[in-house]
Amino acid sequence: MSLDLIIDLNKVNILQGDNLILSEVSFSVNKGEFIYIIGKVGSGKTSIIRTINAELPLRSGTALVAGYDLEKIRKRQVPYLRRKLGIVFQDFQLLGDRNIYDNLSFVLRATGWKNKADISNRIEEVLQRVDLGYKGYKMPHQLSGGEQQRVVIARALLNNPDVILADEPTGNLDPETSEDILRLLLEISGSGRAVIMATHNYPLLKKFPARTIKCDQGRIMEVDQTAEIDFTSLMD
Amino acid sequence: MKKDQKVVKRRLRSSYIISIISISLLLFIVGLMVFLVLNARNLSEYVMENISFSVILDEDIREVDIIRIQKNLDAAEYVKSTRYITKERAAIELEEMLGEDFISFLGYNPLSPSIEVNLFAAWANPDSIQVIEKDIQQFSYVQEVYYQKSLVHLVNENVRKISMILTGFSLMLLLISLSLINNTIRLSVYARRFIINTMKLVGATNAFIRRPFLYKSAAHGFYAAVLANALMFGLIYMVQKEFADLLGFNDIQTIGLLFLSIVLLGIVINWISTFFAVSRYLRMKTDDLYY
Repeated sequence: MSLDLIIDLNKVNILQGDNLILSEVSFSVNKGEFIYIIGKVGSGKTSIIRTINAELPLRSGTALVAGYDLEKIRKRQVPYLRRKLGIVFQDFQLLGDRNIYDNLSFVLRATGWKNKADISNRIEEVLQRVDLGYKGYKMPHQLSGGEQQRVVIARALLNNPDVILADEPTGNLDPETSEDILRLLLEISGSGRAVIMATHNYPLLKKFPARTIKCDQGRIMEVDQTAEIDFTSLMD
Repeated sequence: MKKDQKVVKRRLRSSYIISIISISLLLFIVGLMVFLVLNARNLSEYVMENISFSVILDEDIREVDIIRIQKNLDAAEYVKSTRYITKERAAIELEEMLGEDFISFLGYNPLSPSIEVNLFAAWANPDSIQVIEKDIQQFSYVQEVYYQKSLVHLVNENVRKISMILTGFSLMLLLISLSLINNTIRLSVYARRFIINTMKLVGATNAFIRRPFLYKSAAHGFYAAVLANALMFGLIYMVQKEFADLLGFNDIQTIGLLFLSIVLLGIVINWISTFFAVSRYLRMKTDDLYY
């Protein structure tokens, strides 16, 4: 087991309610790695991500995420696991009742930051990182989809997580904006964080190839990067 | 830009104001019922302490003995007040009542001197009066103890019935109010269930998510209670002007206590309802939020 190992799933069965969605899921992720999870709608991409952040309980198999054993994790520990994971949603999920700055400061205060100057500096930093340095006072609904998604990425970066989980981050965006977001995520993985991105945006995948895991018919398989992925078969 | 933010804030505030007003109206009803129950007790005490009985004395009793008996009665724990009525005084009172000069008609005064006794409300019931009657009859020079048995019985029965109905009614209203307040709060938390879920997913602990909800709702409970108290104060003030004898508190302490308990009730019920409402959505899985 390498020191860089950050996620290690071994023979995990993923259930949604009582339905078995994926069986015997095994894969591991190292720091700084970029991984696509692809598959049809309903094939279990989101369920894998929800298992990793302990939204779905682990029922069988073993899973190690950022030092937490998901088999034995207690309810009280789940928030602390999630602080090591930055999460990016398809539907953004910003707190609609407060502005961008307060959205970000909520996360910082929730994770134990006390000093106001530190909080303000950190928010400044991450907003710069996603090119939104001057928009902190805006309400989420006043931003475009791409901007909101960048805010969500900024939020995911706040606590320097080891892993970024991105569930269809480009699902609601136009192709150009999607590319921007993907570049941003690639850049983030370049700085030593693992990025796991569930997507069905195959043109993008073709343009920015990386390690790819495919969910199909209740199983996952690694797709050979060098081989041409049969996109038409994935589309139907 | 800034203006839009203000619009959002104003909308949020107006939704808060609506829930504060509905909670304050319910607290107002609760307070009003408590006020009525407390007053009913005052009222029944007032009626009961006005029930009196007469201790008819021997005709040839000496002044000293009368004073001794009166003193003895005054010292008893159940006696609120006594009044000595002389033969002459009794004659004048009877004359006024009959409107006829019966002494010149009869040629003598047939009345006996007596002592009128008012009891404290707690002893003004048929059972106690019977015991007291026996007690007093032991005194020398006492001819008889006279009171209207049926009146005592009737007053007691009616007071008991009325206060039972009033208490039952106010308990029911309290229950209704509490459940409506609980519902109001649950709705306002329900509207924020996705926000609660997002907070969970970015790594906030349950206590951290709950805290601002609790503080805000406690503050809202406080505002609602203050509003309810203001309404109640206005109403009591107006009623007291019209029926000073029947309704109203003359003692500041009881009013203060009532107002204070309304404030406490407002804060506590809001806090508890919010706690359970938020906890419900903290426990819920993401998929269940859509139902």
